[in-house]
Amino acid sequence: MFRQSLARFLRTATRNNEVSGISTPRFYHERVVDHYNNPRNVGSFDKNDPHVGTGLVGAPACGDVMKLQIKVDENTGKIVDACFKTFGCGSAIASSSVATEWVKGRQMEEVTTIKNTEIAKHLSLPPVKLHCSMLAEDAIKAAVKDYEAKRAKSPGNAEPTLAEKASSA
Amino acid sequence: MWRRKLQFSASLLPLGGGATSSPPPPFSNTIKNYPPFISHSSTHNSFFNELNQKRFDFFSWGFKNYRFQLNLLSAQSFCSDSGKFKCWKCNGAAFLFCEACRSVQPIDQSVDYFQILGLEKKYDIEEGSLEGKYKDWQKKLHPDLVHTKSQEEREYAAEQSARVTAAYRTLSDPIARAIYIMKLEGVDVDEEERISDPELLSEIMEIRESVEEARDTQTLNRIQEQMLRELGNWSRFFADAFQSRKYEKALSSIQRMTYYKRAIEEVIKKL
Repeated sequence: MFRQSLARFLRTATRNNEVSGISTPRFYHERVVDHYNNPRNVGSFDKNDPHVGTGLVGAPACGDVMKLQIKVDENTGKIVDACFKTFGCGSAIASSSVATEWVKGRQMEEVTTIKNTEIAKHLSLPPVKLHCSMLAEDAIKAAVKDYEAKRAKSPGNAEPTLAEKASSA
Repeated sequence: MWRRKLQFSASLLPLGGGATSSPPPPFSNTIKNYPPFISHSSTHNSFFNELNQKRFDFFSWGFKNYRFQLNLLSAQSFCSDSGKFKCWKCNGAAFLFCEACRSVQPIDQSVDYFQILGLEKKYDIEEGSLEGKYKDWQKKLHPDLVHTKSQEEREYAAEQSARVTAAYRTLSDPIARAIYIMKLEGVDVDEEERISDPELLSEIMEIRESVEEARDTQTLNRIQEQMLRELGNWSRFFADAFQSRKYEKALSSIQRMTYYKRAIEEVIKKL
């Protein structure tokens, strides 16, 4: 009887092994893989263009650097185009790719409220990769801030900037 | 006062621990003294053991506690002096490994990587000198060498050997060494830090773009040389900043070094 139960135990053990062997843990969600393989809006705008805002951020411990740029319609304050360039891990590339998709066609006020948790959730990022989505959030904010700083410098624009509003909020 | 306490204990040791029938030789002389020391103790050990067992059992509890306290004391106040570490088996002087009874010692976290590799605790080191020291330790501590010994000692060997490897890897890499020496000073590098320094980041962006766009080996080699130069410069800058305790500057040098190292890795991938 002991031998039987032992045999049964061993069979289940091997079967379990097989099962776990087949479903090897997938480290990335398919959306990350998709954005990594087909990143959207990769490229650069002229950073000296007055309609362009550039956000440049980095995670030094991993050696990642991320650039996100927005092109803004100065009359409506709408983001008409966005692009990014990221040198970093798959999660950082996917996060910035998603970020450009989300900011396109939206008002500047709206995009500063995009939270890293939304990006992370969308991409099902594991906890160790959360800082990649934070980097993307930082990049959006930095791009808006850069655009507003440019506008404030150009003559005839003295209204309070969005970045100031955001920081006081 | 502590010194006196230690001297006092040294005179107690041969009396109390039956196994340690002769005073431990100083660490540096152990190799020279090794054969006579062993022959002396092996002749008398069992005799003394039996004789002393009965006499000193009564005191053993108090004595053990006293010895434990003493070990703590010596580890704290003399951690740079390897002669002050006591072997768990024979109570002789032992640092990582006891030359007298050939046993691997348990890990002592107060010993840092610099001490393990026999270096002064400073950033500028001769990287080439590490390998020899590392190999010497592995000849004594490697788990394969103790497979016939007790479970306890096999565990010590696994841990010590892994720690020596970690020490070698950490100290032979300029960035890892910088992070480690900062940690010893109580300054941790924030792994999740995010920066927006436009000057640094646009420089890095440009470098990474030039690596990406490089089409021939010559260009890649040129970039790699430039990166190695930067790495060297910032490594020296780190050494100065660390020496003068300017930890903010030291941390930013580590950031730069990490970025340049990443660029080098990318170049190597393409070469």
